[in-house]
Amino acid sequence: MNKLLEKKNPAKHIKSFGFLALLLLLPVIFTAVDFTYGITISCFVAIYVIAVSGIDIVFGYCGQISMGHAAFYAVGAYGSALLSSKLNIPIIISMFIAPVIAAILGALLAYPASKLVFHFLSLATIAFGEITYQLILQSPGGITGNAVGLATKKVNLFGFAFNTSFRFYYLALAFVLLLLAAKTNLVSSRVGRAFVAIRENTHAAEGMGVNARKYKVIAFATSAFFTAVAGSMYAHFVGYISPDTFTNKQSVLFITMLLFGGTASKPGPIIGAIAVLLLNEALRSMENMQMLVYGFLLLIVILLLPGGIFGMIKDLFYKYTHRGGKENAKS
Amino acid sequence: MLKVNNVTLSFGGLVANNDISMEVPAGKIIGLIGPNGAGKTTFFNIVSGVYKPDKGTIVFNGTEIQGKRPYQINKLGIARTYQVINLFKKMTVIDNVVVGMHSRLNQGYFSALFKTKKAREEEKMAYEKALELLDFVGLKNRAYQLADSLSYGEQRILEICRGLASNPQLLLLDEPAAGMNATEKVELDQLMQKILKKDIGILIIEHDMKLMMGVADYLYVLNYGKLLAHGVTADIQANPEVIAAYLGGDE
Ligand SMILES: Nc1ncnc2c1ncn2[C@@H]1O[C@H](COP(=O)(O)OP(=O)(O)OP(=O)(O)O)[C@@H](O)[C@H]1O
Ligand SMILES: [Mg+2]
Repeated sequence: MNKLLEKKNPAKHIKSFGFLALLLLLPVIFTAVDFTYGITISCFVAIYVIAVSGIDIVFGYCGQISMGHAAFYAVGAYGSALLSSKLNIPIIISMFIAPVIAAILGALLAYPASKLVFHFLSLATIAFGEITYQLILQSPGGITGNAVGLATKKVNLFGFAFNTSFRFYYLALAFVLLLLAAKTNLVSSRVGRAFVAIRENTHAAEGMGVNARKYKVIAFATSAFFTAVAGSMYAHFVGYISPDTFTNKQSVLFITMLLFGGTASKPGPIIGAIAVLLLNEALRSMENMQMLVYGFLLLIVILLLPGGIFGMIKDLFYKYTHRGGKENAKS
Repeated sequence: MLKVNNVTLSFGGLVANNDISMEVPAGKIIGLIGPNGAGKTTFFNIVSGVYKPDKGTIVFNGTEIQGKRPYQINKLGIARTYQVINLFKKMTVIDNVVVGMHSRLNQGYFSALFKTKKAREEEKMAYEKALELLDFVGLKNRAYQLADSLSYGEQRILEICRGLASNPQLLLLDEPAAGMNATEKVELDQLMQKILKKDIGILIIEHDMKLMMGVADYLYVLNYGKLLAHGVTADIQANPEVIAAYLGGDE
């Protein structure tokens, strides 16, 4: 709507250009101040931004809860690791095939689940997450390395190995920009409007010509794809994967980030991923407290900050720009 | 255009619609009246695909549509509003209207994902057309507000506008004047006349008899799920059975 106007606004162009420059320079800055650990954290932020943005599509926009997205994270990680090691598929391609498989699995799960109402859907997705976890823990033929896990290879593009945090950061940044652009396109399209209509009023959406079941399946499959991309990035960044990363705790972490940052927006998942990851770092010494902290964060968001951090910023901004009264709301 | 033949639907033991037949031609306003609980909304829900009738057929432009899903029936050219306002509250007014166009737009998943030239052009066209429609119903200056910030009467008008967005041949209005003040009712009356000029047929449920007598060309009266009478407005007004049903039902 107002987007058409925004595009012609040069100030906005300069701002996003400056932002991109900052993102490109970030690892250099971290290296200069001798805080290379910052680059590693940034890589994790990128991975989580993608995973959480995916969940935002199905939950934030389409209103369908998933408490089992760690399963798609696992399909992306193990899928890409196994496809590249057992079938010798180039990693950059296996990182695409595994998410496609995750999307198909997501669609197969969503088709019967799309009939379920909210709380039953959340139970069904928890069960799916648990089943997937058990399958990688006790895999057929031990293909996943079971409890021991798998060593994974680094991404190598035309002889250039993304084998350091510094290098991987740029690959991750490219993925983030690409997938966020895709998300932005999707949610502002006929498909995205159908998602939001389903969230707002499924009954009326059907009445207005939206095949709710079809679009729920599409939203679920898309979000599975995103989260699986994040999983495959994780696998080839860390160099080693094991089942503990793919427990229900991971799904709760995704949801916490999304709710904390704010749903149905581009900045929400970014803010949420950064905030929760930094908090995680701060609480590193007491790892067994993490779940407690997530639980606390969720309660805070649900009770005090229903729009998340980004929602709060938006409200403040709205109040600030609309101080003059109601006149300008009309035009 | 719409021909309903002997439609029956029960909820458990309650026969909400009992052997109802009806015809709605293009370019006319047909009224559906009856006391509370007579089965009027249930009838709309059957025609629009929310419920599948136990018996009977519904023929729309030569195709049987009973048992089809609501989104399919919308695509075939029947749009509706709801007795209880059912807008997409946290969407803007204009986005509500563009959702109403869903079945008339062609963009698929991948053209949306990559924002192809065709998709961009279609989006531009859709939002322009939505503005035109909002202008048509008198809500253009509200286009970029959230739907739930509108007044009650405006929300009812927006529901009609959202229905029109699918370019229907038949529009079902379930108590559109409920909660409207006198001025808004006059505007609604005028809006319906404008819609008729587009050669759209209207089937309207309304308790406001004054409004109904003014706009409807022909009336059907439901009582306890059964068709009690039908005929031109003046005949229905004088029908003793109808008067008795209303007096009895209005305790
Ligand atoms: N889904 C349902 N399940 C069970 N009973 C229902 C259902 N929907 C409607 N009914 C019942 O069917 C009867 C007809 O209801 P309906 O809503 O069609 O009446 P109405 O003519 O629209 O009344 P009103 O003027 O109050 O809107 C009522 O007795 C109602 O309780
Ligand atoms: Mg009713």
